[in-house]
Amino acid sequence: MNTLTDRYLAATLRSVPTQRRDEIANELRASIDDMIEARTDGGQDATTAEREVLTELGNPDVLAARYADRRLQLIGPAYYLVWLRLLKLLLSFIPALVGTIVAIVEAAEGKGFGAIGPGIFTAIQVAVQIAFWLTVTFAIIERTQATVDLPGWTVDQLPAAPVRPGIPLADTIASVIMLVLTIGYLPFQHYQSWVHGTDGDNIPILDPGLWRFWLPALIVVLVASLIFEVVKYRIGRWTWALFGTKALLDLAFAVPLAWLALSDRLLNPALGERLSWLADADNRNILGLSIAVGTAAIVVLDLVDTALKTRRQTA
Amino acid sequence: MVSEDVLRTHLQELRRGTVVVASLVALRRPDYGYALLQRLTDHGFPVDANTLYPLLRRLEDQGLLSSEWNTEESRPRKFYRTSDEGESMLGRLLDDLAAVQTSVTGLIQGVDR
Repeated sequence: MNTLTDRYLAATLRSVPTQRRDEIANELRASIDDMIEARTDGGQDATTAEREVLTELGNPDVLAARYADRRLQLIGPAYYLVWLRLLKLLLSFIPALVGTIVAIVEAAEGKGFGAIGPGIFTAIQVAVQIAFWLTVTFAIIERTQATVDLPGWTVDQLPAAPVRPGIPLADTIASVIMLVLTIGYLPFQHYQSWVHGTDGDNIPILDPGLWRFWLPALIVVLVASLIFEVVKYRIGRWTWALFGTKALLDLAFAVPLAWLALSDRLLNPALGERLSWLADADNRNILGLSIAVGTAAIVVLDLVDTALKTRRQTA
Repeated sequence: MVSEDVLRTHLQELRRGTVVVASLVALRRPDYGYALLQRLTDHGFPVDANTLYPLLRRLEDQGLLSSEWNTEESRPRKFYRTSDEGESMLGRLLDDLAAVQTSVTGLIQGVDR
């Protein structure tokens, strides 16, 4: 015998705790039979009555959840806000941090521009892992009976209302001008560097060979930074997500620059013809090292300053 | 014009707790699931079967209802009855329901239209 009622009972009892299964089964079967009987007494045929009664009782999984007093949600209102806050906090810097480290390591192994791919890939993987494990943890907490004592909300947690924009317009304009000038300088120095060869031709400061890849790549990063400045101004204050993006952009510009300087590929070798000081390999190494150290120092100071601002504005 | 959906949600909210009160009152006379469902419906407490049956079990787990299997009739049925504990809790619930009614009445009278 495998009537619709049998199938309905089996489907309902599947997810009801074992120790109460038989009793619930007997009671529910009696109730269903009562409901069917009430309809057949009214002149309905048994098959239609059975279908209607089971339809009225609805999805067996929902009914089973009501019997077991189980919540039909992954993370309920008690933990949702804490889950969301932790998720945002973790995603705001860990994937970017790990991705950057991977990219730097790959770059140090001589992969050059190819290091960015693995960096982004790792960052995405880390983000997915964080989201997954955090959600699993909270889903388990939600399902264990033990209530976790969360600190209650107090008025002291209220963030300061913004009295003035967290990102002044003047700062944004200054940044945009600097970026535009830098972007413009890269092609400009190629044609007008005020250093002239013996034949009177202009000698670019930067190695013209870099135009095959590195200079366009740096310009792309600078344009991205330009867009970032506008987006940041529209958002109006520093967030950890913005900080992470800024760190990535800064590193995407500074790491190739420092690396090119250190490997003596930044400056035009032809400059040595005119500036005898640069013809000496030791001098070129010192200059390269200075550029690299200077770049690193600027990036670190900038990021520390930004991190402080972000902490103040998100606190 | 209030939308039907909004109205239904508010009515549901308003009615939610009254099913427990109605069940505890009705089960002063022992009854089984489907018969109780019909009695409640007849007395103006329409309730879905898939809400009432699990609710009865829950009230039993909380000690507000006691139960007994009756095997004398055509099919064995589980009869529920309001326990002593359920009775004292019902008293508190009814007091509160009355208090709500009083408060609403007072509020209506105190507010000019």
